Amino acid sequence: MQILAREESRERCAEAGWYAYDLMLSEPLSETGIRQLKPLGSFVYLGMLKKPFFKVENHYFILKGILGDDFFRVAVHGDHREELERISTFVIEKL
Amino acid sequence: MIYLNNAATSYPKPQCVLEAHAAALCHPPAAQFRSAEQGSREDLWDACQKMMGRILGIANHERIRFTSGATQSINAVLAGLDLENGHIITTVTEHNSVLRPLYNLPQLSGCEISLAACGNHGRVNPADLEALIRNNTRLIIVNHCSNVTGMVQDVRAIGAIARHHGILMMIDVSQSAGCLSLAGDEWQADIMIFTGHKSLLGVQGTGGYYVRKGIELRPYIFGGTGRDSTEIIYTKGNYEYDAGTQNMPGLAALKAGGEYLLEQGIEQVYRHERMLMERLYSALRGMISITVYGTVKTNMGPLLSFNIKGLEPSDTAYILQNGYGITVRTGLHCAPLIHSYLGSGEKGTVRISVSGFNTIEDIDTLVDALSQLDRR
Repeated sequence: MQILAREESRERCAEAGWYAYDLMLSEPLSETGIRQLKPLGSFVYLGMLKKPFFKVENHYFILKGILGDDFFRVAVHGDHREELERISTFVIEKL
Repeated sequence: MIYLNNAATSYPKPQCVLEAHAAALCHPPAAQFRSAEQGSREDLWDACQKMMGRILGIANHERIRFTSGATQSINAVLAGLDLENGHIITTVTEHNSVLRPLYNLPQLSGCEISLAACGNHGRVNPADLEALIRNNTRLIIVNHCSNVTGMVQDVRAIGAIARHHGILMMIDVSQSAGCLSLAGDEWQADIMIFTGHKSLLGVQGTGGYYVRKGIELRPYIFGGTGRDSTEIIYTKGNYEYDAGTQNMPGLAALKAGGEYLLEQGIEQVYRHERMLMERLYSALRGMISITVYGTVKTNMGPLLSFNIKGLEPSDTAYILQNGYGITVRTGLHCAPLIHSYLGSGEKGTVRISVSGFNTIEDIDTLVDALSQLDRR
């Protein structure tokens, strides 16, 4: 998986000290790919929805997205913005 | 896309608003007391004042002023009133457009501020507000319709209290102007605040305020007005309030939006929005994982807030937006104090807000999506 672009999200989280970005991917997210994100934090997958939703959360960041989309959202805490690089590397290497 | 975020800004706008806005930019500019054309046709400013007077329920429409929106209006009024060292009462339901000026304007640094609490659906008891009145209370500020819960406050009762105690009353009708019948004169409103881009169907960057005759404000901005340019210092207190070039294309759109509503009938628009809200409330009542911060009988505005057990509001919004194409709003909605009274926590709520352009199908699509989330 390649990350084609990293765009600041229109969802404004900065008010609460969080910064949100959308990672634009080279291909749509598969369920297998989504489940590869599990080691990053607590993992939620709502597979019964018309378009299944996932969320991965730890103290420093939150990932959320929809199965089949070619992007997902990353919100990082303002004090840990370097986590964005770690997540990007993880996605490129594992997905 | 289904747009259910009309309490933030309304979409779509009526065709007449789009045309009026475009025409104002395409045609020679309307006069603003600066042109030889003045007097040759009804001035846009005056016509917009008359229209807003009808919507606000204000006879003295010439006392209505236009600004960039509710926030600028509130700052202009609070900075301009003579409130030095006085006591101000407001409520925990207020938007930051009220709270931040109150706590940050240097002109109010000597003022004391008291906050009236609300119930778990957002209602402020007028008696609680009255109990906060002191000898030096100068102003009561009340949010007419909550932008979080849709609760409509009893401003008639609050107006009577304010008048009885000789206190000024400011009503923020940002969420209600254009979708609820307003009666500023009957409510004994001294000051009313409105924005143009919500239910009034105008464009962003428009709004204004009404100040009753007899209340004078010291302007907080000064500049060119195109009237008597030789008077540099206002020695007689004959202040002008429209300094700088005004947003005439915005006013043209606001006028068109307001006239559209008056032609349709605000009561008619309200009935449609109410029907949608009743349908939504009814559907949500059967969803066990959903907490709604209000009831169909008590919260009469065209919006509601809810949360889904086990999902953060931002997750719900993400799912609705990206999974179902439904746009809603989440978070504190710029009204940070109300949430501890609602029990909605530090992450706030998911808010649904309708306009006259929403349909039963929009609501049913939302309900289907929420049913899936409820059954997860």
